[in-house]
Amino acid sequence: MAGLTLNHIYKRYDNSGKKKKVKNDFAVKDLNLVCEQGEFIALLGPSGCGKTTTLRMIAGLEEITDGEIYIGERLVNNLHPKDRNIGLAFEDYAMYPPLNVYGNVAFNLRAKGVDKSEIDRRVREIAPLMQIDDLLEKMPVKLSGGQKQRVNIARAIIREPELLLMDEPLSHLDGKARQAMRTEIKRLINKIKCTTVYVTHDQLEAMSLADKIAIINFGVLQQFGTPTEVYDDPVNEFVASFIGEPPMNILETTIIKKEGTFFFTFSNSNLEIAVPQRYYSVISDGFRCKMGVRPMDVLIGGPDSQGTPEKIATFENLGDERRIGIHVGDILMMLITEDEKRYKRGDIIKLEVRGEKTHLFDITTGDRIREKK
Amino acid sequence: MKNKKQRSLNVLMNILLILYAVFALFPLIWMLLISFKSDTEVFTTTFLFHPTLANYQEVLLRSDYVRYIRDSVIVAGGAVLVSIIVGVPAAYALARYNFPRKEELAFQILSYKFAPEILVVLPLFMIYQKLGLYDSYFGLIWVYQLISLPLLIWVVRGYFEDISVEIEYAAQVDGYSWYQIFFKMLVPLIKPGLVSSALLAFIFAWNCFTFPLILSSNKVYPVTVAIMKYLGTDSAHYGQLAVASTVSALPAMIFALCIQKHLVRGLSFGAVKG
Repeated sequence: MAGLTLNHIYKRYDNSGKKKKVKNDFAVKDLNLVCEQGEFIALLGPSGCGKTTTLRMIAGLEEITDGEIYIGERLVNNLHPKDRNIGLAFEDYAMYPPLNVYGNVAFNLRAKGVDKSEIDRRVREIAPLMQIDDLLEKMPVKLSGGQKQRVNIARAIIREPELLLMDEPLSHLDGKARQAMRTEIKRLINKIKCTTVYVTHDQLEAMSLADKIAIINFGVLQQFGTPTEVYDDPVNEFVASFIGEPPMNILETTIIKKEGTFFFTFSNSNLEIAVPQRYYSVISDGFRCKMGVRPMDVLIGGPDSQGTPEKIATFENLGDERRIGIHVGDILMMLITEDEKRYKRGDIIKLEVRGEKTHLFDITTGDRIREKK
Repeated sequence: MKNKKQRSLNVLMNILLILYAVFALFPLIWMLLISFKSDTEVFTTTFLFHPTLANYQEVLLRSDYVRYIRDSVIVAGGAVLVSIIVGVPAAYALARYNFPRKEELAFQILSYKFAPEILVVLPLFMIYQKLGLYDSYFGLIWVYQLISLPLLIWVVRGYFEDISVEIEYAAQVDGYSWYQIFFKMLVPLIKPGLVSSALLAFIFAWNCFTFPLILSSNKVYPVTVAIMKYLGTDSAHYGQLAVASTVSALPAMIFALCIQKHLVRGLSFGAVKG
């Protein structure tokens, strides 16, 4: 087992074949990551952001335009994938159709020329761990998506890799199988304690599985930190809106000063939210920025609340929580409540926003505006 | 009530199919019948005649017919072989790699089949004369690529596109070189498509008439052209002609019947993407 270090990684695709010149032709730009031994890292971002490319570069399936990749102390830039001692679990399973499950799992060991009895011992050891004991004789076409993914992961870990790479392993599974498999992966990783890089576009997977999350957009690393850090302390608007379900409400706001107190105000809306004291050093009357607040930090006030009365625009009952949408200007602001009451469209509620939980973002760059310490 | 309706519909459908089969197979049956008739009985329209094997003896034993068959096998077989050797890597490249003008190239290959043979055969004749390819096995095998190569490339390309790239990645991580991956993993996966398209290509090449008629004469003599020999200027040996046609149709028919199942599946599988 070993850590992983990415040092100023660049990936540029040769676009000469395409008719249209692509402006931003760096798939990955100056990526730096350090993954400690035994850590579980998630590369998170929207599709096309370069996360899978990054994973393939770590695996050696894609050339690196510039930069250095270390697995442990070894510089692996010029090593063939097979010499990097990695396990790779693929998005669409990539099983060899002519081989049965046993053959698929044993394939790598056979390729290495490992002794037959040793192969058998290791397959029998891994099979119960991935719960594929009953499937060993089956052919890949007979398996369900979840089963295929178990086999796929078994195949990746049987070689006892220094580094386990997973490329969106859950994205082809449906809701229930997905959740079950997520728990499964968590259990597995706790057991084998292998350094893991996990690519996903689903923030829920990243939040629930990873020790650290690297959020990537347009090939550029936005933030790298623990799930709590990226959730509570996003560095910019992109991270704030990407993490969390439903996403953070982000609204353009003008700050005005009334009798010594600053308020967030919004165009075409009566809503006013008091600006927390800590921001007073960085704002002024008439300051324009974006305000972000998570749906659970927007509350419904009681009968004697001082909150602004607002009309409910949407109401979704999800069973254990209820989501309410309210128009603030043109933006639909979401809030989550555990209130048992059945609201309906058009009901008036008093809105209270926990001002201390708000974040400020620069109106043009989207960077976080932090209070001065 | 419904069952009865269903059954009568079935009967009707079968009758129609039988009618079509008779219609479609009649020329073949007629050809077979003629091959057993003596020259005097050729034009009788009743099915009553005195069967004779004289035509078969004449064609198979006393003429060069076996040589013509051999020429056909060499030329059509050679054409398919060359198509496989060239076409499979080409199909792989078209399926996997991105390069400038890729689609145009693929279309160009397909377009070889667009022009009628008769249109290109005269210029080819002059070129072949100049290059010394006229009336040679090599020359015919080469020109047959116009028939067999596009078919093979387009079918096999579809198969390659259906194989996930990740299988290749997985094999790379497992420690295989590209050549090993290609021959051990990919070739078995494209086999149904390869077999069916190669067989079709063989049949098309075997049946080709225009190219060998113009581009070869005495040294290379495929059956399609050789059959014409039985239609002399002064006499027409229809019986012998029928024998020659029957025998020349056999290989393709036997092949097709043997792998009928693969043929249908192989050609429809690659095209339907789900």
